[in-house]
Amino acid sequence: MRLQLENFTKAFDGVPVIEDMNLQVEDGEMLALLGPSGCGKSTTLFAIAGIYRADGGRILFGERDMSNLPSQRRNVGVVFQNYALYPHMSVQENIAFPLTVGKNRMRKADTVRPVREIAELIHIEELLARKPAQLSGGQQQRVALARALVRRPDVLLLDEPLANLDAKLRLEMRSEIRRIQRETGITAILVTHDQVEAMSMCDRVAIMNKGEILQIAPPTEMYRSPVSRFVAGFLGNPPIVFLDGHVTGECGFTMEQGLSLPLPQRLRGLSSGQSLTLGVRPEHFGTSGAAVASGKVTFVEPQGRETLFDVETAPGVVLRSIQPARQDVGIGDTVSWPVDAEHLLAFDAAGTRL
Amino acid sequence: MSSSAEATGGVARAARHPSTDRPHRQIAAARPRISLFGALLLAPALILLTCFFLAPAVLTAVFAFTDMSTSTGIGKGQYVVTPNLLRELADAGLSDEVAEAVSVETYTVDDAGLEAAEAGGVDGRFLKNIADRLNGETYTAAREFERALRGLPDAPRSPRELKLAAEHFGQSVLNQRFDTSEELSATLAEVAPNVSEETRDRIVASSYTGAVWTTENFHTLATQRETARLVANTFLFVSATLGFFNLSLGLFLAIVLFYMPKPVNSVFSTLWLLPRITPVVLYAIMWKWFTWEGGFLPVLAEQVGLPSFNYMKGSVVTAWITMIMVNGFIGASFGLILFSGALRAIPVQQLWASEVDGATRWQQVRRIILPQLRWPILFVTAYQTLSLLSAYEQIWLTTNGGPGKTTTVWALEAFRTALSNYSGNLEYGLGAAMALVLVIVGLTLSILYLLLFRFGELVSKPRIEF
Repeated sequence: MRLQLENFTKAFDGVPVIEDMNLQVEDGEMLALLGPSGCGKSTTLFAIAGIYRADGGRILFGERDMSNLPSQRRNVGVVFQNYALYPHMSVQENIAFPLTVGKNRMRKADTVRPVREIAELIHIEELLARKPAQLSGGQQQRVALARALVRRPDVLLLDEPLANLDAKLRLEMRSEIRRIQRETGITAILVTHDQVEAMSMCDRVAIMNKGEILQIAPPTEMYRSPVSRFVAGFLGNPPIVFLDGHVTGECGFTMEQGLSLPLPQRLRGLSSGQSLTLGVRPEHFGTSGAAVASGKVTFVEPQGRETLFDVETAPGVVLRSIQPARQDVGIGDTVSWPVDAEHLLAFDAAGTRL
Repeated sequence: MSSSAEATGGVARAARHPSTDRPHRQIAAARPRISLFGALLLAPALILLTCFFLAPAVLTAVFAFTDMSTSTGIGKGQYVVTPNLLRELADAGLSDEVAEAVSVETYTVDDAGLEAAEAGGVDGRFLKNIADRLNGETYTAAREFERALRGLPDAPRSPRELKLAAEHFGQSVLNQRFDTSEELSATLAEVAPNVSEETRDRIVASSYTGAVWTTENFHTLATQRETARLVANTFLFVSATLGFFNLSLGLFLAIVLFYMPKPVNSVFSTLWLLPRITPVVLYAIMWKWFTWEGGFLPVLAEQVGLPSFNYMKGSVVTAWITMIMVNGFIGASFGLILFSGALRAIPVQQLWASEVDGATRWQQVRRIILPQLRWPILFVTAYQTLSLLSAYEQIWLTTNGGPGKTTTVWALEAFRTALSNYSGNLEYGLGAAMALVLVIVGLTLSILYLLLFRFGELVSKPRIEF
């Protein structure tokens, strides 16, 4: 079901947190709300769930305006960060709970089949008799997911679902959640502060800061062409390096510290002397390209398949490079590596991408 | 208590701990130091425990098996045969002949009698006559002795004076205090040689004025008709107060306040605490102002044409309602505080989740909140049962068990019996027995509660990962 926020506004104690937000999630799409903590992404999610009341604007499920309905009547499934399983109920009872409450509730015996079905989908058939206290974190997560899905909700809302899992489980659950979302075809919103989660799990990413959506785009597109310095800085691991300087000549860029780089061809025609911030992603330094930057290696971080280098190209100016694993370069070595100038990102003084 | 038990365990473990590969000498040196330190740390707790918990409980148990009362005193008693005692024994089947034989008065001229007579102002010459001529004589009848006296040279003329003089030599076992049973027994044997040894022992035994060991208190409690009424009253009082106020009202308030905004919550929580923090006497007086004739409620009732009288003591039903409310309003705050704390410990996401899942407010309360309040509910039930079982001060200060004895509960009756009653004879033994019954009932109930709520499960180590 298509989900739409129109001029959604939310304030806490008179202080607006989100103002006039517009967002549209297509039927069957999985959208990530990505942003630093406090940016309003969970607030948005809880407002969609009806846990928070919107102070303005409309929340539409398909054509239906849900803004003034209590959460009981919105038919959404929510997975909370701490899973919020009911500790006094067995897994079976936890998953069956949404079916046994509300207006058209089932008798307990009737819930066995739907619970079994959803448990099979989520691979937790063997856990049904246990209590939440007897489950591992990953199992609790799966139960929470099953409980959220058992009522076949119109929208599935995931609030930092992977934050409490260890690294390995996180990887596993990442693909699991995506698989289940695909299989059920349910419209889903994932709230996360982890850009890897957002990019790997979702069809589109909405990046938020200070209660505002800065950009909505498919992950790759957003990574390639971020609209602003903030978005560029938020995506990418290891992160992008920003260089503050100004335009020189026809198509050049110079920093006060002395580093000079050519600008991409598409930026030809900027007036000379204009101040500019250049963003250099680590994969665009040290692999290929026409331009060259040289300097001394100050840090080497082997990551197995790849190796990460910090190169001080001018006093205080450190470029980051990620390359297929290599051991021929060590700390203190002077290197001259190519820079892929065509892929450099440039931002004006206000942080907007040029 | 549990902390001290743990500490004991800790000391024991520490003492056992020294590893085997260490030299023997060190182990030997280490052991007493650790246990001494442990004992030192434990000492204050143990002393307090002994003085304020163990000793009173043990003394109560001890007193419960005595007939200690104001008349026996708490010290060592003596052996006295009183006319009252003989009357009681006669009622219990002692024959009149024995009673007469025991209470018979004899007259013996001896040093003690002479001294008494001298102190009583009997003429000196007459006394000398008596000492010279009648010394060592014993008379079993007053008339005989008086005749003998009249025969003396310096005997006074008036029969009255003669009679008075004779009285100084009179001896009776009645009202005489003996320190040991043997002395009394010997004297009785002398006075009434015809009384059988068995009867004598019986008289001696019952003549003891101090407290004696007896199970009579429990027999009394088990047989008197009053007991059934007390038990019924106590049961009604405890269950009604607990059920309507401490649990239901406490739970209701806690849940209602839980859904209120925080300022409202704080104000009402504090208001409900007032009955508990008001000094008990003031609290009782306020209830009197509220319910007595001329008080708030009766005046209000008069205005609207309802029966107006002293609700606290005027009728059995209103007295009961008053008594339960007086205690209930104090108890409700206890439940309120405990339940509020437990409610706040439930993660808010669980409540959100249940709402998103479609649960109504009522379903949320019944299916999510109440099951998680099981432990506090058990605690309030168990703790308040015990404190209500032993609560008497509010009742004492308000209805005072009345009208009649209709609102008298076990604890109040025990208090009255042992420590405060109008007849003045405080029956410590019987009161202690009543208290002991209360203690046993309380302990039994605690164990039952713990079994019922599967205590072991409740305190087992949590295994939820956060």
